[in-house]
Formats: sequence, structure tokens, C-alpha cells
Amino acid sequence: MPDIAAPQAHIDLPDTGTQTRRVESASVFWLLVVAGSLLLPLSWLLPWFVEQTASGKGNSPMDVIVSSPTGIGWFAIWVMGLCMLALFAGVGYDAWAVLTRRGQPFRYGRICAGLAALGALCVLLVVVLVASRTELVFGSTSPDVLIDNAVWMMLTGFVLLAFAYGLRGWVMNHGGLAFTAVAFAIGGLFPLMFNQAPSFVVWGAQSAGIYVLLALGLNVVVGFAGLLDLGYAAFFAIGAYTTASFAGSAHDFHLPFWILIFLGAAVAGLFGAILGFPTLRLRGDYLAIVTLGFGEIVPDLAQNNVLGLTHGPNGLSGIDTPAFPLHGGPLDFGIFGANPRPYYWTTLVLIALVVLLLRNVERSRLGRAWVAIREDEVAASATGINTVTGKLLAFAIGAAVSGFAGAFFAAELQSVTPESFQFAVSVTALTTVVLGGIGNITGVVVGAILVSFVIFWVLPSLQGWMGTLGSNIGVQQLGTIQYSDYKFIVYGLILIGIMLLRPSGLLPSRARKVELETGAESEPLAAVQERA
Amino acid sequence: MPNGEAPAAPATVSVPRRPRPNRPLATQLRLRFAASSGQAFLVLLITGFAAMVVAEFASKGVAQAGAQVVNGLQIGAIYALIAVGYTMVYGIIELINFAHGDVFTFGGMLSVWIGAGFGALGLDLTKLATSNVGGLIAALAIIFPLTMLCTGTLGVVIERVAYRRLRNAPRLAPLITAIGMSFLLQGIMFVAAGSGNYPARKDDWITGRAFTIGSVNVSWPQLFVIVIAVAMMLGLQMFVRYTRVGKAMRATAQDRDAALLSGININRTISLTFFIGSAMAAVGGIVYAIYFNLLQWNLGFKFGIIAFTAAVLGGIGNILGAGVGGFLIGLIYAFGSDLAGGEWGNSIIFAMLILVLTLRPNGLLGMRVPDRA
Repeated sequence: MPDIAAPQAHIDLPDTGTQTRRVESASVFWLLVVAGSLLLPLSWLLPWFVEQTASGKGNSPMDVIVSSPTGIGWFAIWVMGLCMLALFAGVGYDAWAVLTRRGQPFRYGRICAGLAALGALCVLLVVVLVASRTELVFGSTSPDVLIDNAVWMMLTGFVLLAFAYGLRGWVMNHGGLAFTAVAFAIGGLFPLMFNQAPSFVVWGAQSAGIYVLLALGLNVVVGFAGLLDLGYAAFFAIGAYTTASFAGSAHDFHLPFWILIFLGAAVAGLFGAILGFPTLRLRGDYLAIVTLGFGEIVPDLAQNNVLGLTHGPNGLSGIDTPAFPLHGGPLDFGIFGANPRPYYWTTLVLIALVVLLLRNVERSRLGRAWVAIREDEVAASATGINTVTGKLLAFAIGAAVSGFAGAFFAAELQSVTPESFQFAVSVTALTTVVLGGIGNITGVVVGAILVSFVIFWVLPSLQGWMGTLGSNIGVQQLGTIQYSDYKFIVYGLILIGIMLLRPSGLLPSRARKVELETGAESEPLAAVQERA
Repeated sequence: MPNGEAPAAPATVSVPRRPRPNRPLATQLRLRFAASSGQAFLVLLITGFAAMVVAEFASKGVAQAGAQVVNGLQIGAIYALIAVGYTMVYGIIELINFAHGDVFTFGGMLSVWIGAGFGALGLDLTKLATSNVGGLIAALAIIFPLTMLCTGTLGVVIERVAYRRLRNAPRLAPLITAIGMSFLLQGIMFVAAGSGNYPARKDDWITGRAFTIGSVNVSWPQLFVIVIAVAMMLGLQMFVRYTRVGKAMRATAQDRDAALLSGININRTISLTFFIGSAMAAVGGIVYAIYFNLLQWNLGFKFGIIAFTAAVLGGIGNILGAGVGGFLIGLIYAFGSDLAGGEWGNSIIFAMLILVLTLRPNGLLGMRVPDRA
């Protein structure tokens, strides 16, 4: 019999000390290492999957390097390849040692860091030599052919590995900071690197960027406050229609873009609070269904041209092109053109802004109130937390971020239609949050990038890649499958798989991990039978 | 209410009354709203529905309004068949089985595929069904049990795979897997049946006019749908009320632990609940496919939400309530679409959903407390 009066010696909650911080940040370390290790072989395999840039063989990056007259290409290829193989061995050993708790992990960490740095230097050397058109070394070739996606992927992979292994201690102790640094370095250089694939940059600006913002906002509602919101696309739509109404030919208003994105956020936030009010006494699943109903009504209203404002199924078009700040003033940079880069970098700035804001909110009094409401609303209310304000603010802030994303989305596409705000958008946002880690900002950003990469880049491009691969290896049927039809199956499998296997997501938030994996409720008797 | 309720009045006069805490305005409003919202909803529903009926009959004439009544009952029958599954599952494990609407569509598709399978074996069911009444009954007697069996098994598998392990997890977790399951089923149907309309059969199985009341025609397919639904609901109600297994289901719904202690195998009971709910949805799918001769891969999303509205309106956990709610929602949908234009039908139902859930979550006949995490 346990002595009730005795203080409990050991509580199974992780404390906030360095031990758990290491554990949490270790996932960032592994994320970087795995991403780096995946990029390396992908860059080698890329020529098999994408169409060659010029006609005939010998123009894929590897072939150009190998065919250099001086033989330096051969040398570079061998060094890079050996570095890659040695790194695989190192990462594999560490993963094995950590997973099985045998052996000593990171014994060869320094060697790994050195090899990765050597590989990165090698790639850089090749890039510099080719970019400076040293035809003596590499023969006559257009630098565009060589300095292409495969080379950038390889460089990124080596740099990631060098960074993760070289600064392992720091990365493990400052996971969030390390991730932010890497994300902004790669994110900022992304449009320059993937020069050859402008549609990839468009993907980054329109799909990845927007879904990162949506995931960040939904994370406030679902992750911080624990309220499942299935109508999240409604606020996205409200933000988008705000921009479309006030910056375009539709109603002949022409407010500047930089004011409008905040106006869109404010309008959506207001609607978030309005929706939140009647749902205050609902919890859990009923709340989810009410928000779902709201999320269906808003596109429906837009579809039915409510009050003549939304122009029905055709939506609003002719939205003004965003201009750089200070447009019309003495320092005029003009307006955004057809190039997706300004949009991309703007998204990045907006994401940085939102992340900064949400991190501070999470650690504020309000963020702690959310934790309390999420874990036990009655207890939170009893300790003097105003649950009404807390929940309303969660709804409003989440909706405002969504409206922010929507306002930007409308300006980017220059037209909005009700079709863009269907239930699938809400589910995609939910999938990103669940995959990345409910309640963890770093996690949901990673989840959003992964989901939008798979759904909006890999699946649509897969038919082309598989077609090329099929004609390379002689299996033509590979190119005839409509791979993008499988996206709903992918959503379903992610949601089910994550909830069953790793309910706290890829990069778990510390508090949510405890709640989701051990269960916040007391164990009913029925659970005992199931285990027996 | 979970919090903020005023303390009961003291029994003796000698104890000085504690001054009422000066609550913030928002809380006061909220409490007042919570106290009166249930009745307000009833009044709203009754007056709104009566106004709808009067407006319909006054503006469209008896013939069209009568036709809408039949339409509403017919579509409401399908909602009722789906709503039963929601209400039973919610009653027993307090989970909104989000995938249930897609189980309905899947049932419809399965009936078509089973028919095609028989066609491949040399027995053309459509030919059999359109030949004479006996043939039709024979075809239905082949299609119904097989499809119900397969779809019921699908429901059991869904529960086993996606929900059972999460039965004691926080409420968010099984709801998210349910959404995942819904998308998985939709994705499978999307790949199998394509993105557009999926034609069910070459010829309509049931055609013609059954009878005429006044100036209102009732067609055989409409009568078929309504009769099947009512019969199934009554049968299910009898089953749950009078059989041993039905009693076990009710016991498990009331208190899972106590049911376990009295020797009920709760896992088997829950599986059976899923089987029956899915089989009923399959009946809905079959009659939908027979009536409209068309299916869409994402049909279940809309039908699922509407049927869930019906289940909540009737009182979740209550089979009879699901039937009443289904027919009521069907009528509201038919009248609303006729009065405001077909494109508003969905908005009306979704508004209804929000109103029911926020104002009267117990529904019309329900007694369960919905206010739980």
C-alpha cells in the first residue's frame, strides 16, 4: 500500500532542466542529420528522375563533371562519393547506437563533421570553377547546366551534416535556435539555389509558405489551447476576400498591400472571436463540428455571392500587384513582377514575424493560461484564470494568423475563388500540425514544409519523374499513373499513422508529449481488460 | 454548467447571504445565454419550421409543396439511416465517427461493385431486377445482405485499426484518426471511381408512380427508400430494446466499467455497434445508388455532416431521435432549398448544425450531457 501522506518521490513529468531540453533538441539534431543524409543520395539520383536540361546524354551534372578533360571532375566525384558513403556509415552507426542503446554514439562525430566539410568544399570548388568558366578544367559547358538542382542539393546536404556534427553540443542544447538558423539560411538562399526550377520557388512561396503560416496559426488553437478547429479555412477565406475586396478592381478600392495584410488579419481575428463566443461552452468534438460547420458556410456564402460582394463561383479577380514598401515615396522599388522571388522572400519575412510573435505569446501569461485551459479547464477556472478570455484570444489569434496568410495568398494569386477554401485546406493544415508535433512551433513548421512538399510538389511532379525513370529503365507504365490522385490517401495515412504510432508528432512539444502519450485522463477500468 | 454556477441559496435565514460575486460582463452574458438557449432553440425551431411550411405552401402551391414533403421524407430517410450509425457510436464510445459518411458512400459503391461482380460471373442483376417484381426482389435480396455484411465488416475493421487503441487516449486523438480514416476512404474511392460522377447502373431498377394523394405524386423509388428506412429503423429499435445483445449495448453505453463488471464483453459489443451502424449506412448507400443511380467519391462528407446534424438534433445516443432528426432535417433541407434556391440548402443545414450544437446540444429527445472534454 502506498503511503498517502508521504510526498511522492518521483513524478513522471519531465522537469524543465537541461536533461529534457537535450531530449527535445536532439530531435532537431536528428532532423538535420536525416535531412542531410537524404539530400546526398537524392542529388545523385536526380539525373535519373528529371529530364536532362539539354539534348542527349552527357549533360546531367554528374556526366559533365566526369567528362572534364583535366580529370579534376573524376577526382571531385570520387571525393564526394567517398565522403557520402563514410557519412552514411557514421550516421548509421550513431542511429544504431542510440536506438539500441548499445555502443557509444557520436564517437566518430568529429570525423563525420570533417568529412562533411570536405565534401562541401569539394562541391563549392566545382561550383566556383565552373561558374568562373574555366574551360581548361571543365571543358566548354554552360554553367547553367552544371550548377543545377543536383549540385545545390548535394551542397546543402554536406553543409547540413557539417553543421549538425560540427556543432553537435550546441545544436543539442539550442535546438530551436539551431533550427531557426538553418531554416532561415536555407530558406533565404532557396530561390537563388533553385534558379533552374522556378516552379519550385513558386511552390515555396505559394504552397509551403502559406501552409507554414496556416500551421502556425492552427497550432495556436489546437496546440496551445487544445481546441480542435476544423473550419480553419474559413478565416483563410475571410483574409483572402478582404484583400480581394479592398485592393482590386472588384470594388474599386486600392489600399496598399502592406496595410491590407494586417487588415485581413484583423478582420479574420474578429470573426474568430465572433465564432468563438457561442462555442465557449462546447468542448472537444462538438467544438470541432461547430467550427467545421462554420468552415463550410463561409465558402458557401462566397459561392452564393452574399450581398453581391463575392461575385459567386467566379470569385474576385484583378487584385492589385503588391508593391514594395514605400511605393510612391522617394525610395520607390516598384511593384512585384512576374518573378516569384519577391513573393517568396515576403513570405519568409511574414513567417519570421509570426514565429517571433507566437513564441512570445506562448511564453507569456496568456500562453501559460492556455496550457492550464488545455489540461483541465475546470481547474484553470478555479485558479482564477479567465477561461473565456483565454479561449476567445486563442480563437482570435489563430484566426488572425490565418487571415494574414489568406490576405497574402490573395495578393499572390491575384484572384480568389471559393474553391480555394474547401475542407481539404483545413485538413491539410491539421495534417501539418499533427505531423510536425501538436503544440511545437518548430515542429509545425517542419510538418507544414513536409506535407506541402509531398502533396503539392512531389505528387504532382511524380508522374513526370516516373515517366523519365520509366523510359530510362524501360518500364513505361510508371509514367501512366496519376499520382496526385493519391493525395487524400496520403493525408489519411499521415493522420492515422501519426496518431497511432507517435501521437506527439515528429518533433514533439515537451508538455504535449506527456499529455498525448500517457493520457491526461485517469485510466478507466475498461483499459485494464484491454491490456490483460 | 461546469463552472461559474451560482451557489445554491442557503437553507437558513440566519446565515447572511454572501454577496453575489461581481462577474465580468462576458461571463454574465454567457451564463444567461446558457440558461435560456435550450428553450430559445425549441421556440426558434418550431416557429422557424412552421413559418417554412406555411411559406412553402403559400408561395408554391399545394402540389409543389406536397412534392417537397415527399422529397424531404425521401432524402430524410437516407439521412436517418446514416444518423443511426453516428448516434450509436457516439452513444457507446463518445466518438464522432467522422469516417461514417464515407462508409455510407463506400456502401453504395460496394453495392455497385458487387453487382458488377455478379455480372462478371454471368448473373446480370440489372437485367434480373428490371424483368419483373420477383426478379427485383431477388436482386435486392442478393445485394442488400452482401453489401451490408461487407460494409459492416469495414466498420469493424475501422474501429479495430483506428479507434480501439485510442479508446483511453485524450479525446483529440481518436477524432483526428477518424478524420484520417475519412480521408483514407475518400482517397480510395477517388482512385477507384474517379473525380466526377460515378454512374451506378445502366438502368434504373425501380421506376414508375406508386400512387397519388390529391395532386401529389409519390413514385415507387421514393416509397421504396422511405419504407426501407422506416423498416430498418424500427427493426433496429426492436433489436436494441428486446435482445440480449441490444441490452448489452445499452449497458455499455451507460457505463462501460459497470458493464464490464457484469460480464459483458465490451470489445465485442463495441465491434457489434460499429457493424450495425455501418450496415445501416450501407443500406443508405444502396438505396441512394438505386434512387439516384449516381455516386460521387466525396458524397459522404456532405451527407455525413448533415446526418450528424440530424443525430444531434434528435438527441445523440438515441436511435429514435436519429430517425426523427433525419426526417426533420430532410424536410428542412427540401423546403429550404425550394424557398431560398438550391444553392442555399447546404448553408441552411450548416447553420442548423451550429445552432443545434451551440444552443441545444442535448437535442430534442436526448438526455446525455454533451459538456465533456
